[in-house]
Amino acid sequence: MPPAIHPIDLVDILRRHHLTPAIVFLTSRRGCDEAIDAFINTSASVSASHSEAIRTFLDQFAKDFPSIANHPLIPVVQDYGVAAHHAGHLPSWKMAIEELMRQGLLDAVFATTTLAAGVDFPARTVVISQSSVRKSQDFCDLTVSEIQQLAGRGGRRGKDFVGFVVVTPSPFIDLDILGKGLTGQPESIDSQFVISYPMVLNLLRAHSVDQIEGLLAKSFAQFQLNQRVTVHQERLDDLHEQLQPYGPRECADWVAQWKVFDLARRRKAHRRPIVTNDSPYLTACLPFLTPGRLIGLAKGPAIILRQYRSRGTGTPMLSVLHGKGTVGECQAQRVVHVYDHVYDFHPTRTVPWCLPSTLHQFKQALAQLPAHPPTVPIFEASPEADDPLLSEVLTEEFSCPSCPSYTACKKDFSLASRLRLKEQQVTKTIQALRDGLWHRFQQKADVLHKFGYITAGFQLTADGEWARMIRINHSLLITELIRMDAFSGIAPEMLAGVMASIAHDDDRPSSYMRLTSGLSSMLGKVRQVADSLRAYEPPPLLRSDVAALAEQWIGQPQLNWASLVRSTSMAEGDVYRLLARTLEFLSQIHTLKGTHPGLADTAHLAMGNMRREVLAELP
Amino acid sequence: MNDDDLNRELQRLPIKYLHQLAKGRISRHFRLGKRRLIECMLGLPQEHKMALATSLANLSLPTRESVVNSPTPPPPSPGESPSPFYSKPTARTSHHTQGPSSPPIQLPELLEGIGVPSPMPFVPDEWQREAVEALAHADVIVSVPTGSGKTFVAIEAIKQAMAANQTVIYTSPLKALSNTKYMEFSHRFGPDLVGILTGDRRDNIHAPLLIMTTEILRNVLYDAASGEIDLRLHTLGLVILDESQYLADPERGVVWEETLILCPSQTRLLLLSASIGNPQELAEWLTSIRETPCRLIRHTKRSVPLRGLYLHPTGQLVPLFEARDIQQKKGYRFHPETKRLFNEYEVKPFR
Ligand SMILES: Nc1ncnc2c1ncn2[C@@H]1O[C@H](COP(=O)(O)OP(=O)(O)O)[C@@H](O)[C@H]1O
Ligand SMILES: [Mg+2]
Repeated sequence: MPPAIHPIDLVDILRRHHLTPAIVFLTSRRGCDEAIDAFINTSASVSASHSEAIRTFLDQFAKDFPSIANHPLIPVVQDYGVAAHHAGHLPSWKMAIEELMRQGLLDAVFATTTLAAGVDFPARTVVISQSSVRKSQDFCDLTVSEIQQLAGRGGRRGKDFVGFVVVTPSPFIDLDILGKGLTGQPESIDSQFVISYPMVLNLLRAHSVDQIEGLLAKSFAQFQLNQRVTVHQERLDDLHEQLQPYGPRECADWVAQWKVFDLARRRKAHRRPIVTNDSPYLTACLPFLTPGRLIGLAKGPAIILRQYRSRGTGTPMLSVLHGKGTVGECQAQRVVHVYDHVYDFHPTRTVPWCLPSTLHQFKQALAQLPAHPPTVPIFEASPEADDPLLSEVLTEEFSCPSCPSYTACKKDFSLASRLRLKEQQVTKTIQALRDGLWHRFQQKADVLHKFGYITAGFQLTADGEWARMIRINHSLLITELIRMDAFSGIAPEMLAGVMASIAHDDDRPSSYMRLTSGLSSMLGKVRQVADSLRAYEPPPLLRSDVAALAEQWIGQPQLNWASLVRSTSMAEGDVYRLLARTLEFLSQIHTLKGTHPGLADTAHLAMGNMRREVLAELP
Repeated sequence: MNDDDLNRELQRLPIKYLHQLAKGRISRHFRLGKRRLIECMLGLPQEHKMALATSLANLSLPTRESVVNSPTPPPPSPGESPSPFYSKPTARTSHHTQGPSSPPIQLPELLEGIGVPSPMPFVPDEWQREAVEALAHADVIVSVPTGSGKTFVAIEAIKQAMAANQTVIYTSPLKALSNTKYMEFSHRFGPDLVGILTGDRRDNIHAPLLIMTTEILRNVLYDAASGEIDLRLHTLGLVILDESQYLADPERGVVWEETLILCPSQTRLLLLSASIGNPQELAEWLTSIRETPCRLIRHTKRSVPLRGLYLHPTGQLVPLFEARDIQQKKGYRFHPETKRLFNEYEVKPFR
């Protein structure tokens, strides 16, 4: 919402109190444009000499940046000493305004709050008329950092003794947000680490998997996660202490045993939570098949290193250390005996799932086993067990009722199992915090493997070798399109059109533009591919109007900038940004000259055609 | 009612009632300040003005507001006002203010001292010197308010590194900013010594000072890691990351992390950042992942004092806070005049 005060009144008051030059922050580009339009044909003009100085500067500036030579806003700027500065303008025009401001030639600049951080654009006074900004679709309160970034432009070092921030109300303003923002401490910053396909490919190109794990561990993301781990670790230590009195009794893992016993007693109420294809016997075994457990396989005794489900079939699987000292995988249903012994075990993430020293101890332990270690009776929650009579019989076979520590277990079970559950949860949380990044890396790597960019052994394939050069958003879509030869024999302007529609992520409305039929069918194809990749990469907007715009600019070298801009309702600055981004995408395709010389040439041609007039002004 | 009477009546009205009256009569009235609104109203055709006078008479003004323009209205005490502005915010903010403060500042005092200092020889601040010196044996994070002079630190650091025959890379988050810095540095160091890299352009890339966006540097580091780059990374002595608070940007922040992680270990890092809440944490992180320790240079004091003003839509200018200079972390108390005027401005439905 515009401020309740009229821009002319505002500038008048600022001038009267010697508060100029000022930056007036407004919510919308339109607000900025309308504010300076309001000056036309009023008496708020600057002196003739001032006007002359602006004129001289702009003439000079236009020598380096011809695109501003006939800018429609020049008359307002030089007559009234005011300007607008927002993303709808060309970079060269914005630079001219910034330089005018630096030289003290403007009294007021109406700017949106997106006025980028770091652009050297100070003033004596900053006017704020809002406490929120539009972010995507919603209005959000300005943060303390944002408010201080805005206010920080008030008061120029070396040019002002003091700076001012002027608050003038507009509808929806909340003064307290501004009060806090001006005087408070800026927010802490948090890591925003995300793992992308190009990152995975490029890391794998130069580093081993182990090294990458180390690199991820060096991220600020992991640093912050580790701080949370510390907190959970303290809780875990605390839980361990509380669990102290509930160590091994008659059997090593009495809590698990009692749990089964308990379930049997209350089998009526019990429902198996997850429906699996596991046999009832296997289901009953699984709680015991934890890392460190001694088991008997057909081949002989073994120690479990981890339990997992196979990705494809979902069958429960075990990684085990065999008696002869080898580590292997076997299906859980192959377990013949579940022995009543659990070794101390600290899991690790990679083969052999525990520390080498542990593995060594296990090997020794296996070598010295008695012939028939005691086993854990497995109580099967079979359907028949629902029969009270049968279940009683079964229960009697179960060791708990006759066990000397029956009473103690009965008394302690509920607390011990609760602590145990918490312990497991906290352990899981810690694992998740420690491994989160690594897992996300693996997920991305799995997808890249599925598509054939890397081998099962984490080596780049021939396709991966070139695909890693595409380091932009929607990289998977682009590399897939290249792999399916979607661009073979394509004209430069059409390639540019496609890249523009992939690159453009702004859904500001713009005018309809006629697509050539070739580009239109091409975009249809791209959309299909993008949709098929939806599960792996969010599809781009693929707007056809921006594609048409880029196609025209590249395809018609005689088309000048002014006519291009006239043919769309997009703001000049937006058209520039679209084409600049397209240029960036094309330049990445150009890097594929070794493997895709034809396509790279086409991209190069498109880039050459792109770089003219205003698009050739800046590097 | 003649024009003079109407004018007087309208002048007495708070702006929100003027807007009520203007609704349907003056297009885009909400964009207008009080003076202009009244001008427009007086410029309406005669019969419209009569209708306006009738609406004016029918306006039910709470008695409190009809005395609003009396010469010196007593500042309303918190208890008697129905506005949320008095009840909620003051209650919330008063306990973290500067205690029983001196009487609220007056406007003339606040506006005192506006002006342009006479040119003075450039004397670097203590923190600027400290930052440059610290680079000799540490990575450095500078977190100071906008406009403090971080560029000076960058320039001195560049000079130092160049004197030692090292390559320097300066990155900014935006192409626009890179362009500005390219021009500034070319001017300062001479065009031969400065190069720029963008997606499709590589100008003078064998210059000792290279300017690029952070994404480009990340790409350079990718390529360097797999050994296929023509840049001389082994002589890379210094990387300057301007506006490094971008590390927290939801979309692009990851690029800053990658850059910092992949930076060669012999390279010094200089992170320039606006004020952030946890620069210490950043410094600890960098220290934990790099061979050299990381030194934090921070302060929150602005080099040019900042003062607050409240401008009412009627054109009245009053101090925003009770205290003169805006200071960090000391809480705030709005000036009674600001409270009174803002309360008047606030139209209930907007809250
Ligand atoms: N020690 C100093 N004394 C006086 N002016 C300085 C000093 N250091 C920097 N400046 C001036 O302060 C202004 C802002 O500096 P800049 O480096 O752009 O700030 P930022 O910290 O926002 O990057 C510049 O005009 C610069 O010349
Ligand atoms: Mg700066």
